[in-house]
Amino acid sequence: MVCPFNILPFVIYLFMLGNLLTGCVSYRLIRGTEGRSIPPVSEQCQVGTTTLEEALETLGAPDQVAELEGKDVLIYRRSLLAQSGLSFGIPLTDIWISSFDISAYGRLVRYDSLLLFFTSDGILNKMVIERGSRHPYLKTILSNGKGD
Amino acid sequence: MNRLREPLCILLLAFTLQSCVMLAKNKDYYPFDTSQLEKLTPGKSTAAEVTEMLGAPSTIVKLSNGNAYIYRHSLSKGTGLWLVIVSFGNYDKRKDQIVVFFDKNDVLTHYGVTLDANKAAYGLPF
Repeated sequence: MVCPFNILPFVIYLFMLGNLLTGCVSYRLIRGTEGRSIPPVSEQCQVGTTTLEEALETLGAPDQVAELEGKDVLIYRRSLLAQSGLSFGIPLTDIWISSFDISAYGRLVRYDSLLLFFTSDGILNKMVIERGSRHPYLKTILSNGKGD
Repeated sequence: MNRLREPLCILLLAFTLQSCVMLAKNKDYYPFDTSQLEKLTPGKSTAAEVTEMLGAPSTIVKLSNGNAYIYRHSLSKGTGLWLVIVSFGNYDKRKDQIVVFFDKNDVLTHYGVTLDANKAAYGLPF
C-alpha cells in the first residue's frame, strides 16, 4: 500500500495546525430551553368566562402559583437561553511578555410568559402574555432597548 | 487537485482527532406516582389523602381561597460538541408538574397536570 504522503511532515503539520487553531480562534454557541412552549390562548381563555378548572384542563399545571391582592395567579413560563462568543488571540507568552487577544461574548435569556389572574371565585379576571422569543438574538443583544 | 489533497486530509484529521462530544443528563427528582392521579376526586379528596397518595409536595402556596400543593420534578438533557475552533452546546429542560388546589377546608377543588419531562431531548443549538 502506498502512503499518499510522508508520515513525519503529516504528524508535524497535524500537531502545529491543531495547536495553532485551538490557540488562535474559537467560536462558541450555546442554546438552552427550559419548559414547554406557551400555547396560543386567545381562543381558549376568555376574560370573564373561563374558569380556573377550564384553564387547568386546557393548559395543564402552571409553573408557578401565587396570590396577589385577593386574586390567584397562574404563571406559565418558558425560558430560552442563547449564548455565543468569538475569541481571537495569539498566544505569545512563551516568547513575549503578553499575548494578543480580542473576545466578544453575548448571553441572552428570553422568556415566554403567560399570567392568568383569577378571582377568588375562580373566574378569569385578567390575562397577560409576553413572548420574549419573538425578539431575535443578535438584534436584541446589540440594541439598548428591547430589540424591537 | 492533487496538491490540495494533503492539506485537506490534514485539516480533516485535525478536526476529527481534536473533536469531542459530551452528553449529559440531570434529574431534579421528586418521586410522585402519576398513576395515583385517577384517585383524586374534586370535592371529595382531602389534603391528607392527597399527600398520602402523592407524598409531600415540593411547594405549598397560600391562595385567596385556600392552598395549592405543587408537585414537580424535572429532567434536563445536555449536548456538547467541540470541533477544534468551534464549540456547540445545547440543553433542554422539561418538567412533570401537578398542582392541586384545596379550599379553606382542605378539600380538593381542582388540579392541573403537565407530564412533559420525558420530552427533554438531546440536540444541537441549530
